Amino acid sequence: MTEHIVFKLDGKEVAANPGETIWDVAKREGNRIPHLCHVDLPGYRVDGNCRACMVEVKGERVLTASCIRRPTKGMEVSTQSERAAKSRKMVFELLASNMRPRDEGPDNQAAFWKWAESMGIAGSDRYASKFDARDHGHGHHEATHDVSNPAIAVNLDACISCGACVRACREVQVNDVIGMGLRGSHAVPVFDIHDPMGLSTCVTCGECVQACPTGALYEKSLMDKTATQRAVQKFDKVVNTLCPFCGVGCQTSVAVKDNRIVQVDGRNGYANENRLCVKGRFGFDYVASPERLTKPLVRRDDAPRNVDCTKPYAERFDVFREATWEEALARAGAGLKKILDERGGKALSGFGSAKGSNEEAYLFQKLVRTGFETNNVDHCTRLCHASSVAALMEGIGSGAVSAPFNAAMDAECIIVIGARPTVNHPVAATFFKQAAKRGAKLIVMDPRGQDLMRHATHALRFKPGSDVALLNSLLHTIITEELYDADYIREHVSGFEALKAKVKDFSPEAMAEVVGVEASVLRDVARIYATSKASIVFWGMGISQHTHGTDNARCLIALALITGQIGRPGTGLHPLRGQNNVQGASDAGLIPMYFPDYKSVEKLDIRGWYENFWGQTLDPKRGLTVVEIMDAVHAGEITGMYIMGENPAMSDPDQDHARDALAKLEHLVVQDIFLTETAWYADVILPASAHAEKLGTFTNTNRQVQMGRPALALPGDARQDWELIVELARRIGLDWKYRHVSDVYTEMAATMPSLKNISWERIDREDSVIYPAKAPDLPGEEIAFTDGFPTSDGRGKIVPADLLPPDELPDTEFPLVLTTGRLLEHWHTGSMTRRAGVLDAIEPVGIAAMNPRDMHKRGLHQGDRITVETRRGVLEAILRPDREVAEGMVFMPFCFAESPANRLTNPKLDPFGKIPEFKYCAARVEKAREAATAAAG
Amino acid sequence: MRPETPRSRRERGPKGRAVDDAALADVRALLGTRERRRDLLIEHLHLIQDKYGCLEARHLRALAEEMRLSQAEVYEVASFYDHFDVVKEGEPRPAPVTIRVCESISCMIAGSDELIEKLSAGVDPSKVRVVRAACVGRCAGAPAARVGDREVDNATVEGLLGDLRERRTDAVIPKYTGLAEYRLAGGYQLYEQVRSGSVRIESIIETLQASGLRGLGGAGFPPGKKWQFVRSYKGPRLMSINGDEGEPGTFKDRWFLERDPHRTLEGALIAAHCVEAERIYFYMRNEYPAVLEILRREIAALEAAGIAPRGFIELRRGAGAYICGEESAMIESIEGKRGLPRNRPPYIAEVGIFGRPTLNQNVETLWWIRDILEKGADWFAEQGREGHPGPRSWSVSGRVKKPGVVQAPAGVTVRELINDYCGGMLDGHAFTAYLPGGASGGILPASMGDIPLDFGGELAKIGSFVGSHAVVVFSDRDDVKGAVVNLLKFFRHESCGQCTPCREGTDKMVTLLEAKGALDEAALRDLETVMRDASICGLGQAAPNPVNHLLTLFKKGS
Repeated sequence: MTEHIVFKLDGKEVAANPGETIWDVAKREGNRIPHLCHVDLPGYRVDGNCRACMVEVKGERVLTASCIRRPTKGMEVSTQSERAAKSRKMVFELLASNMRPRDEGPDNQAAFWKWAESMGIAGSDRYASKFDARDHGHGHHEATHDVSNPAIAVNLDACISCGACVRACREVQVNDVIGMGLRGSHAVPVFDIHDPMGLSTCVTCGECVQACPTGALYEKSLMDKTATQRAVQKFDKVVNTLCPFCGVGCQTSVAVKDNRIVQVDGRNGYANENRLCVKGRFGFDYVASPERLTKPLVRRDDAPRNVDCTKPYAERFDVFREATWEEALARAGAGLKKILDERGGKALSGFGSAKGSNEEAYLFQKLVRTGFETNNVDHCTRLCHASSVAALMEGIGSGAVSAPFNAAMDAECIIVIGARPTVNHPVAATFFKQAAKRGAKLIVMDPRGQDLMRHATHALRFKPGSDVALLNSLLHTIITEELYDADYIREHVSGFEALKAKVKDFSPEAMAEVVGVEASVLRDVARIYATSKASIVFWGMGISQHTHGTDNARCLIALALITGQIGRPGTGLHPLRGQNNVQGASDAGLIPMYFPDYKSVEKLDIRGWYENFWGQTLDPKRGLTVVEIMDAVHAGEITGMYIMGENPAMSDPDQDHARDALAKLEHLVVQDIFLTETAWYADVILPASAHAEKLGTFTNTNRQVQMGRPALALPGDARQDWELIVELARRIGLDWKYRHVSDVYTEMAATMPSLKNISWERIDREDSVIYPAKAPDLPGEEIAFTDGFPTSDGRGKIVPADLLPPDELPDTEFPLVLTTGRLLEHWHTGSMTRRAGVLDAIEPVGIAAMNPRDMHKRGLHQGDRITVETRRGVLEAILRPDREVAEGMVFMPFCFAESPANRLTNPKLDPFGKIPEFKYCAARVEKAREAATAAAG
Repeated sequence: MRPETPRSRRERGPKGRAVDDAALADVRALLGTRERRRDLLIEHLHLIQDKYGCLEARHLRALAEEMRLSQAEVYEVASFYDHFDVVKEGEPRPAPVTIRVCESISCMIAGSDELIEKLSAGVDPSKVRVVRAACVGRCAGAPAARVGDREVDNATVEGLLGDLRERRTDAVIPKYTGLAEYRLAGGYQLYEQVRSGSVRIESIIETLQASGLRGLGGAGFPPGKKWQFVRSYKGPRLMSINGDEGEPGTFKDRWFLERDPHRTLEGALIAAHCVEAERIYFYMRNEYPAVLEILRREIAALEAAGIAPRGFIELRRGAGAYICGEESAMIESIEGKRGLPRNRPPYIAEVGIFGRPTLNQNVETLWWIRDILEKGADWFAEQGREGHPGPRSWSVSGRVKKPGVVQAPAGVTVRELINDYCGGMLDGHAFTAYLPGGASGGILPASMGDIPLDFGGELAKIGSFVGSHAVVVFSDRDDVKGAVVNLLKFFRHESCGQCTPCREGTDKMVTLLEAKGALDEAALRDLETVMRDASICGLGQAAPNPVNHLLTLFKKGS
């Protein structure tokens, strides 16, 4: 209480909290002082440069900027004095004088014009625009007008050099692309070395657009064709919902005009604090793609089962014909029912989707378990973090993250291993970069270089596949140097002695050669991790997508357990979940071995509970996983499938094998919004709902259960996914009655202790609730395992890992290592993002990336059409030089249908998580015949 | 490997400009074992500019990579300073030799415009580049120029072309008192006494206070008081020496350092000891290549003699930005950034270099410290006029017979400076007006030539100040409005561009002053008001001074 600073504001005595500025106090008192450079949002440093907020302090020679000035005791501040008002007005007149008239400028609704209008300023007739003098005339000049970015227009004649964009880019998103170049009246925001925005390192996150007070940086989607003026003036509605893409779970507000999304902004959600990335902000138009499925399709009787699944959408009627909903649903249900009746549930399986809602996931697995009478239900989590989940379940009894990624802000040491969050979890990465800027030690370990390494105190580019050697050497160091937390181990951990014995021979000195990192660096990293007050580990597919993926994750768990770096703020284990609802779909039981909440299907008491709850007997054996299902199809054991929102024809390893399996099925029902590669094999295609059209809950990587709300009406005859699942259920004889999505949620939550105290109404009200929550009115717990683990003995279990080489090592025939992953702009198999105009404009073509030195050695050049070949197959791609790719490696994103990387990948599985080794196989590269000419395609 | 140009967007590499291995090797070779600290960015840019004559984009990209900075962070600094030439792909490199001709006020009235015009016509632009430069601090030798690093007084086309022909482009080091000579005359004995504790810090501060010594960079803040302030904030503390003498008409700091640099260095070491500064950053403007060389040599000599520990005095080279004479902008520049003045409070005594309490002193202020402590406060104070303690070093230029740095009492008048110190007006010139304090102090008519010149006082009452004591004398052959336009163009060029009033105000003032017809007084006055009241730093606040005087003191008929 004594810390309050009492001062006078316009004659009234007011109190400021420590750290508050005059502007803050005035705002609290209901007095909005004009502001431009001051972005009144979390994460924005005040800068005090535009001088729009000047106030007068009694006794001071000059005015002061209220946004940056902290009051002192007894200060007498006047916001209303003639002198202050005069300066503020002059500032607006000077800035307006340089601009085009309001209605001819990029954004006539910009904050700048609203403030100017409140002062009666519409321009200036006595001060000439500086652009007139410089450019000899009015209009839009090359120097001030940059439309090279597909999503954002730059109109520098509206720029007031306030640097909000620089802070947005450098301090909030920490992308470091925008700077303020030149000096004086020429001072101007620049991209990189004053490059066109579209040719710069800009990642098009749009934070600058959100921060710009004038519209100098503005969304093209709201502008006219020339991108000089705002065209969309009024929205029909603005919906508070979620981003459909990655596991970060950014909250968005979606503006709609004429049933089209015209703008997406970030909201101040826990996971994103107003930030978004290029996908979330600009990747919204896929929902309006002309290739959306709007009518049910059934396979023509004369169509072969084995078609070319990369055919263009326009040729769909070669294979399909349109059908009524009644016909399509009847066929879909009858086909499944027939197999069930003839061969039993073992012959059926279902792939649900991590893109759908929790309610959809719950219904889908319930349909497979109760309708198909089998546990053959899985989804793409199998291809992402199955090994992580296996290790986590085994070690600490829970597959979810122990702490949200925001915990990085409380950490002293942050390890990011086998993950490229700036590409795959861009908004989560902003927290890591901010933390590093604030002095946290950031340790990035990955064979490939990445943007995050520039911010890292330690960047370890280890040899691919040497993960266990690397991690065991860290464990060795911690143990031999006695940096472990003996108390914590005694209280909470089992298996320490076995670990000690196992890692005895893994000294950094012994491992340095294997790992390709100096021993002293390994020791340094181990010491920092172990001895920091709070250390946290983030990992991604680089850890999990290996035949030793579970072992990799076991090592990370061991690191946390022996150092006690878990269960406290700033500590923990966080596998960065890929899809927007992969956490929720897994939680909801969309996996073959678990009912909702990871309850084993093979445990009698649990199965009994579910049999009672669902009212029928259930399959007592765990089901098959994604890759196993494909193998079972080949083996003739599975003949019918229901695939909702998944695209195994693109996402599964050894693609030709997977596609052959799909073609071999007797009956395939695909429910999707596009005619995906998978859908080409379907007997019936059910046109369904996009994220922007549906209501439901989604659970992000942080364990936040969040509400997604519909912004758009369904296109054509398309229907809601959850309704279609119910329709199919009825057609195979289930008596399901749900009136609303919330009914599904409520039933699901009743089976899931983790959702206790989190009702549908609560999520709708609060937008986001983290689980577990102790009471309906208490916020959820961000940090889990504060006192032990949900294992049978309450202890965390260490499982030591051995060195296991990747399954397929390079040899003379296939001398390179092929690794796969994603690009910033493209989501998963590209079915959504390649139909998003901005995203496909930025990354329009299938590429393979190699280190320029390797290219040079092979006489290959940027843009060459090359062939990439493995023992599974061969494909063509455009070659991209990329210094981040280690020598001896080829990187391919798996999103491009024309260069489908998964044709090449090794389907060999991790024995525990059943995850394929996407990250490593032997390959060779050659210049394609007929190069160059084909490149235009 | 040559970087390849993509034929289309489809064929591009990763986003943005790729690192070029050859350029990276160039940069690594230049940087050698130097630390890659961010605050050394400007130093590193100098290395590249010196070696390659410009900053090519590929080198900037490579430097960013090497220093783990973003390209934007490198470019925004490179593009802020006049002495860096950024050259992008496909743009021509600057000619191998640059001649900078000063166009600031003293040189302008000495005919720099004509010189620049004729010189430009007389050289092959592919071999020689002629650049208009802001004040180079050689106003007594106007018009001044610089061929490469060779500083030239009273420049003529013939003379400059002769220098070019003879390849005289290296800095000319004047004869000065080196360390040995300085020590022979008792130099650094005082510092030794201070360092050993035999002279108490409190008594040093008392003496400085009693002497009436003022900060001679322009603000006149008493150093003794400043040291007390700095000492009151919790350490570790740092110190800077402001050698960014850029105020048009000012050249006294150069004058001192080209003659007796150790007097400043000893003063600095004493000051650093008194505030317990862990390091001294000596920020020297890049316009003074000879001074830079002298300082390099003499700081090394101090280290070799064991008087200052290695690295204790870190020489930092400016890069052509007047604003970096503003102390908080200088600190930003020392940190390797654009020279943007900071909002105050906090003041740098509390939050300075790298956020630490910082003592900043002008070159000349430090120069006097040894003498004051050795000879006593009275010795110093008595050299001034009644009520104006101490001597001052006046940089006098313009239409006087003997321009130069003159030592005269505080409180002296311009008429006395002209007649008693500078040999009177040039033949055929009648005194009409003067600048009492460079470009910022305003312009006064000869009728005000008897005002005692000092901080505050009568000058303050008429919206003027003595600042860095740069007196420029005009005659009946000079056009006052032309002089004011020159001054405002200087401010426009030197405004950092950070705050609206200064960035837009200086620009629009020039436009209004140059407009045909009668001056729009109301528009000018409104600009003056917002610049004075709302600019972040002294540049914008003082820039309207000459315009104000033009409108009030030089009204036709007044």
